[in-house]
This record gives sequence, C-alpha cells and structure tokens, in this order.
Amino acid sequence: MRNRLDLLGLCALLAVVLIAYQRLDPTLLHPSTITILSAQFLPLILAAAGQTIVMLTGGIDLSLGAVLSLGMAVFVIYPPDAPGGVVAAMALALAVTMLAGAANGVLVAYAGLPPIIVTLAASFLWGGVTLIVLPQPGGHVPEGLVRAYNFGWYGLALPAVAIGVALGLWKLIKTTHFGLALYAVGGNEHGAYANGIDTRRVKIYAYGFAGLFTGLAGIGLAIQTGSGDPTIGVPYTLNSIAVAVLGGISFFGGVGQMRGTLLGALLLGLLTNLLLFTGISTFYQMILQGVVLIVAVAVKTLATRKAVA
Amino acid sequence: MTQAVQDSDVRADNAGPRRSFDGLRGNRALWAFGVLALTWVAAILFARGFDSLASVRYLVQTASFLGIVAVGQTLVVMMSGIDLSVSAVVALSAVVCAQVAAGSGSTVAVLVALAVSALVGVVNAAGIVWLRLPPMVMTLASATVISGALLIYTNGSPKSASIPLLDALANGSVAGIPLATVLWLGIAAVAVWLLHLSRLGGYAFALGTSEPASRASGVPVPVTTLVMYAACALLAGVAGLVLLGFTGTSSLTMGNPYQLLSIAAVVLGGTSILGGRGHLLGTVAGALLLTLLTALLVAWNLGEGLRQVTLGLLIIVLLLVYARERRTS
Repeated sequence: MRNRLDLLGLCALLAVVLIAYQRLDPTLLHPSTITILSAQFLPLILAAAGQTIVMLTGGIDLSLGAVLSLGMAVFVIYPPDAPGGVVAAMALALAVTMLAGAANGVLVAYAGLPPIIVTLAASFLWGGVTLIVLPQPGGHVPEGLVRAYNFGWYGLALPAVAIGVALGLWKLIKTTHFGLALYAVGGNEHGAYANGIDTRRVKIYAYGFAGLFTGLAGIGLAIQTGSGDPTIGVPYTLNSIAVAVLGGISFFGGVGQMRGTLLGALLLGLLTNLLLFTGISTFYQMILQGVVLIVAVAVKTLATRKAVA
Repeated sequence: MTQAVQDSDVRADNAGPRRSFDGLRGNRALWAFGVLALTWVAAILFARGFDSLASVRYLVQTASFLGIVAVGQTLVVMMSGIDLSVSAVVALSAVVCAQVAAGSGSTVAVLVALAVSALVGVVNAAGIVWLRLPPMVMTLASATVISGALLIYTNGSPKSASIPLLDALANGSVAGIPLATVLWLGIAAVAVWLLHLSRLGGYAFALGTSEPASRASGVPVPVTTLVMYAACALLAGVAGLVLLGFTGTSSLTMGNPYQLLSIAAVVLGGTSILGGRGHLLGTVAGALLLTLLTALLVAWNLGEGLRQVTLGLLIIVLLLVYARERRTS
C-alpha cells in the first residue's frame, strides 16, 4: 500500500512536469520528439535499472559507470567488417558487461566483503580494462544506425522500443523463481537461506543482470553519440543510485519496484530539459538534481515515519 | 567505550598464544602497517628509485593530500556514515580560495574557504539527522549541488592563484620533512584524540556499532553527527587548500580522485565500512599504501589502463587478506 502511494506521488509529479513541458514544447507527443527524448534518456534509465536489480538484493554497484564505459568500448572497437557486424558487436559487448557484473557478484557472494567495497575496487578494475580496450575516445558506430536511432526509423522511436524491450525482459525475469528469490534475499537474507534459496547464486545472477542492463545503456550511449569514450560512464554510477533512490528503491534491499526507477529517471530527465527551455543556464541543472533528490527522499522518509508512528 | 576495549585486551592477554594471535588478526590497523612495510621493502628491492631519501620525501608529501581527506573520511565511516561530498569540497575550497584571494587577500581567502567547507559538513549532518536521509544520498546530493554552484560561481573557468602561505605549506619543509606531511600527521594526531580518546569519539564508535542501541542509551546523536561530518568536510577543505598551494591552480574536477580513494584508504587501513571497528592510524597507513602502490605502478611503466587494473586487483586481494567482515548485519 505504501509502495503504491510512493508510485502515485511520483506519477503526479511526473504529470505536472509533463504538462509544463507540453506548454513549453507543444511537439512533446510527436514521434520525432519522443525519439530524441528517449535516445537522450535511455542510458540513464537502463543504468538505473541495473542499479535497481543490485539494490533490491541489498547491494550497491559503484562500478556501474566503469562497466557502462566498458560495454561502450567493446561495442565501438569491434571492426565493422568483421563477421556479424554490428549485431556481433552488441552481443560481444553485452557478454563482456554481463561477465564483469557476474564477477562482481562472485566477489560479493563469496568474499565476505561488503558490496560497496567490492564494487569500489572493481570500479578501478573495470575502468582500467576499459582504458586498455579503448585508450582514447573514438571507435566506430555505423552511421546508418546512428541516424535511425536518433531520428527515428520509418517513424519508429527505436530507443523507446529498446527501453520497452529491456523493461519487458525485466518483467519476464521477475516472474521466474529468480525474481522472487531476489526480493527474498534483499528482504531477509538469512530467512531466504533458511528457506532453501541459494543466496549466493541469486546475488551472482543479480549482478550479472545488472551488467547486462548496464551494457545496454553503454551501447545506447555509443549509438546516441556516434562514438566511444572510455570515461564517459563515470557519472552514471552515482546518478543511477540517485534515480533508484528517487524511485523508491531502498538501500537495505527488498523494497521498491522497477516502475519507480523508470518514473524517477523520466522525472529527472524531463526536469533537466525543462530548465533548458526556461533559458536558465545549464549550470543550474546539477543544483536542481541535488535539491530534487534531497526533497524527494526526505519527504518520503518523513511521511513514512509518521505513518509508522 | 575505552573501558570495553581495555577489557577485551585483558581477555586476549589471559587466553594464551592462540588467543593473542586472534587478537593480532583482529587488529586490522596493524595489518595495514605490516602490508605497508612489506610493500615498501618490495618496492626498494624490485623497483628503481625507491631507496633514496628524496623519493621517501616525495611520497609522504603526495600521500598527505589523500591522507588529510582520508582522516576526515575515517571519522565519518567509524559512525557507519559515508561522505561522498569530499571530492566536491576539495574543489570548493580551492576554487573559493583562489577566487576570493584575487579580490580581498590571501588570509581572508583561506578563512572563507575553510568556513565554507565546514558549512557543507554542517549541512550534510543536518540532512542526515533531521531529514533522516541516508548519508550516501545526502552527501551525494550535496556533492552535486556544490559542483553546480561552483560552475555558476566561476562561470565555468576557475582562477589560478599564487598564495605564498599555501605555497609554503604544500612545498616547504621543516628539518627535511615536507610541511604538508607535518600538517597531515598533526591533523591525524588531533583526530586520534577526537575519535579514540574523547567522549565524542566514544559516541561515534557506539553509533557505528548499533544506532538504535546508542540512541536508547542516550548518545547525543545530533551533536556527534554534526561534529564528525563538519570535521570531515573541514579536512577536505584543508586538503583542497594544500592542493591549491601545490599546483597553483584550482579546477572544478581537482577533487574527483579523492571521492573513492579516500574510502579505499580508510578501508585498506582496516576500518570496517560498516562502522564501529578500526583505528584512525590505520588510515594513515592506508593512504601511504595507496600512494606507494600508485607510484610503484608508475615506476613499472605500466599504461594507465593496466595500472588501474592492477590497483583494483591489489585492493581486492589486500581486503580479502585482512578486511573481511564477519557475516553480521
């Protein structure tokens, strides 16, 4: 019930922002605008989705930004004339990021180190691997793909479709045994273990899936910008955490829904764009982001505390 | 708090050699110093240029920037908090100092920079105590706000400044020891007193061990949180000033490396990230260790990428050796 109230609050906020947006930019619902906006928001939405999966187990991923860059780097250095072309490049990038995520998961599950420390060290590790793969910004993304992705493909907003497919995939994952186990491990690890859930395997899968979503975000960013950059992913680490928290995902695990994360990402992205329209310097974006985060989380915590008392 | 520590020491002494070995295993700050000594010996044996006094001097000088930030971070981590805004505060203090110095002289500039830094800590603590925000969210948000504010304040292009006082502090030395290092060790000494000997430090340890229990037993949570976060931010500000003196310029991103490295130094120093366990002196070893490792990797002529990979792997291995958490919480 409380979760529903959270989501309703986010929805209401989003509606207000959308109405304001529509007034400033009447083309909001045109396919071209949707394409541009979804291309712009895709990396953050998918990165935050990855972070959400990890946070649901009670973990946190400080290496997310590095893994995002890694996926981007692998995707753009795959030679365009090699067998499989761009599809093989995507598959390879996703395989690499998924493995990187799973490796994080193995460390978290078996090492007895808190996730925050493991992924902190891993952020150096994957950041370094990314620099080896792609020392300087550059690489290759097929031009046709960049155009189709950013300007629509026969009127179809490809990034929006990609987001839809990714979130659909998550819906599917959630209905499996793993999906249930994920919430169980996050909610009460000892209880989950006592009930016969292989908590270690659940964690490894969770970090692996987070790697998959992060890789998708990296590929999206590469296609959007038309090239690769080994350090561009760094801000996504903390931004993804901020969005997940904004969306109602708890640091302690087991609480929150992917829907909330999606709403959080949309809200933050649209607010940032709104600032652009009003002609305020883009410098204010960051201040707004910080203030929104503080206000949203504080209102939520104080409200729920009252409900408990 | 001190009483409890003494009790457990006595018990360890009474229980024979096996128990005292456990005691050594438990004292992770000592491990940090041991690993540091071993690494240093290895560096002298296997790499060029680590055997001279000048190299030692340079190492302890460069370690002091990270070291000062990490001492502050320790204060916060010990009460199971975390401060992700140290990177922003390092830049804030340097940028504000450079900017103000251009108009109203260097003494005023230094004071203003330190005051602004401490203010960030107070705001962080206020958000954590009264708005009930998780420390990670609050400090992350304030880091974002500060970065934005700096962009507006400097219009995107921060100034450089040559401030004699800071220049001397960063580059000068007393009896062969760099002043920055003297400052760092002085700060560490005060912090040892604050964390391990003062009443407030005992409260911080109690908060790190169990917040509900310490609340119930009357620990003044707001005051403790306020002092620790303000001290952490103030120290990040000091580090920013020393860095400004060292490089002569300020930049909006100059603090970025310290955000995660300061936490790594704390943890490598044997302090539990969950709070309540560790010693501040371990962090001094942790900062030295991280700086030494980085210098070693540079000396081996590894590329930037390989260097980071090795550093990441080394941190993981070291943590596995002596910083594993018992399966609690």
